[in-house]
Amino acid sequence: MADETVFTPDVEFVRSLKEAGAETMKKCYQCATCSVVCELSTEKSPFPRREMLMAQWGLKEELVKDPNIWLCHNCNDCTKYCPRGARPGDVLGVLRQTVIMENAFPKFMGRIGSDHNYLVFAFGLPIMLFLVILGAFGHLHIPDGPVVFDHFFPVHLIDPIFISAAIISLLFFTVSIKNFWDGMNVNPYRLMANGRVIPYLYETLKEMILHTKFDKCGANKDRTLAHRLVVFGFIGLFITTNVAVFNMYVLGWHTPYHIDDPHILKLFGSEALVGLYYAGFKLVGNLSALALLAGAIIIFTNRTKPKGFVSVSSPFDWVFAIVILLLAITGILAEFLRVVDIAALAYPVYFLHLVFVFFIIAYLPYSKLAHIVYRTTAITYAKLAKVE
Amino acid sequence: MSEGKSGSILVVGGGISGLTTAVEAAEAGYETIIVEKNPYLGGRVAQLYKYFPKLCPPYCGLEINFRRIKQNPKISYYTLSEIEGISGSEGNFNVKIRINPRYVNQKCTSCGECAKVCPVERSNEFNYGMDKTKAIYLPHEMSFPMKYVLDKKVCTGDSCNKCVEVCKYNAIDLSMESKTIDMTVGSIVYATGWKPYDATKMDNLGFGKVKNVITNVMMERLAAPSGPTKGEIKRPSDGKLVKTVAFVQCAGSRDENHLAHCSAICCMASLKQATYLRERVPDSKAVMYYIDLRTPGKYEDFLNKISADENVKTVKGKVAKIVEDETTGDPIITVEDILGGGKLNERFDMVVLATGMEPSLKGQAVLSAVALQDNGFMEEGQLSGIYSTGVAKRPYDVTTSTQDATAQALKGIQSILRRQ
Repeated sequence: MADETVFTPDVEFVRSLKEAGAETMKKCYQCATCSVVCELSTEKSPFPRREMLMAQWGLKEELVKDPNIWLCHNCNDCTKYCPRGARPGDVLGVLRQTVIMENAFPKFMGRIGSDHNYLVFAFGLPIMLFLVILGAFGHLHIPDGPVVFDHFFPVHLIDPIFISAAIISLLFFTVSIKNFWDGMNVNPYRLMANGRVIPYLYETLKEMILHTKFDKCGANKDRTLAHRLVVFGFIGLFITTNVAVFNMYVLGWHTPYHIDDPHILKLFGSEALVGLYYAGFKLVGNLSALALLAGAIIIFTNRTKPKGFVSVSSPFDWVFAIVILLLAITGILAEFLRVVDIAALAYPVYFLHLVFVFFIIAYLPYSKLAHIVYRTTAITYAKLAKVE
Repeated sequence: MSEGKSGSILVVGGGISGLTTAVEAAEAGYETIIVEKNPYLGGRVAQLYKYFPKLCPPYCGLEINFRRIKQNPKISYYTLSEIEGISGSEGNFNVKIRINPRYVNQKCTSCGECAKVCPVERSNEFNYGMDKTKAIYLPHEMSFPMKYVLDKKVCTGDSCNKCVEVCKYNAIDLSMESKTIDMTVGSIVYATGWKPYDATKMDNLGFGKVKNVITNVMMERLAAPSGPTKGEIKRPSDGKLVKTVAFVQCAGSRDENHLAHCSAICCMASLKQATYLRERVPDSKAVMYYIDLRTPGKYEDFLNKISADENVKTVKGKVAKIVEDETTGDPIITVEDILGGGKLNERFDMVVLATGMEPSLKGQAVLSAVALQDNGFMEEGQLSGIYSTGVAKRPYDVTTSTQDATAQALKGIQSILRRQ
């Protein structure tokens, strides 16, 4: 009996999957239609038929180390063609959330960041933190004069909060991903995964930026555009934020920006150049914000419009979609209220916007956004281990 | 005009189930009336090449039933007919029957001279559209009744008149009209049977686009000596003799997007059809792709017998994609080999989709006396005195259909006796 394989079904795990939105998984009768109609499923190790079985059996350990669930881009061709209404697309979405929670470090942060039942804590934390800090530094009021956000929540307070949050978040994320990699990197693929990581990582990132896999989706094609908008929106906003940091700490150019600031004028030489730099900076920032907003709106309408088959988004997916939408709305609204100078509204909206930004940064390793890194890691691993 | 009487049984549908109910009830001494919408009796069974598991010709059994009908004055039948209305209650139903014109009368000897001169062709639905007949045609070579019929939809009528002129027996009457008759019956048995599920609805299986993808009912006709290829299994695209065939099980059946039920016969039918190929071409190969092989009870023996042939393979996994190799016309199937692991992309000469049985009444406007379940099968016991049998009731094979049909004959008789 030496080579006997014993699987121990984790009934609790099965229950938790069902509660998280995979309640249809037990309908699957293993016909494997899904594995064939999926354009992303691989020849040697097709999915999601096997993953559906593992989920039904509650094989948590097997699932957590399975790179396949990250090769899935939730096109939902499987769900459309499923003869049983088992909705493999939705089930794999829940499995991805489970993997994020399983690998989360520290565990309680994983819970706060990915379980919708803990949303109060997730938002309570930044709100309390901001209120305490603003109160401690005597800023807990609407400043007089024209709207200048720096007068309400000074950058020298924002930066320590957000930079330390980002650093902690990245550290935790590194530990989480290390857990994930170690879980995946076991036999039978371990021996194969001994090549150099960088070329495969490069290839993976290229695929992700170009949306190569996404474009193969059949049933849910509209999502590709939405996803592109959100991705490029985030990239654009990341760049703008860093340019703003560069402006302040390297160029010594502080907000509110003035083109005739003598210091910056000296650096650039002419007002025209400063104006060009400023316009470019503003253009990228505003376009990115609009892209994010448009992407979030399309995600919303896509999820609610009839597709000819039933697909239900999990709370985990919904929370993130709503956060992105509110992030974009509060950001654009704050800018608008600043320009039209309505202080009573501009400052509270700005406050909310900062709460959403904090949410994105602090819960990056645990929210749906974590899929950027999990997916990159899994696809790179799959390429390395020649699964893909 | 009113015919029949409250002591008689109306059987709707003249396939194997309806014939059985009618014959069994008549032989027990009761008047029976068969109403059949086709121009011939025998239904789907008439289109089969062989029965499983005995692999004998189905027409043999049909002929026995036809002889029993001819010998028994208590049985009457109407072809090309439909039920238009049912009123009344158990023991005393009033039924309206519309008899559509055949345009050919009792004098027809089926000499075939009319078809020779007829200039118009029509798709032959008896062979599932794989060949053509003339506008005036014999439904098939063993038709009962053995009489020609004219398809008025394609016939050019009086302006042509060639068939009328050539017929020596004055058997053709282009002015024939449909008529409606009223009838009183004591009970009604629905034996309306099934139609093959429309395979074009499964867009991933390529039927209608990939030329060498056919359905299992078409395979029956290809193998039948009376079929479009005289019994040679040739593929549609180029007439090449077929050596390798993939059978795709559950093509539509057990699928909520198509037919939610298991059609009950397709596994046995595909195993049977594998023998059609194997007995003709010595080095031929058949592969059956399945979700589950459903051969209950004694049928397990048939599965064991057929799969003992090393050229008949069974692979667990549902084929969900079929594309065409444009140069050769070969269909290429994709399936996940669940037991072996990995995806397979396999090339065949021809693919047979094991399309399921859809109840004929599904999607039809049915009379209020008849209640259907969501899947189109008849709801039992909605109105006493009305029964159903065969595939109108459930997905049955022929053996089970005839057993149930016999039982329903008794039900029909009981309805009459209760009334007296």
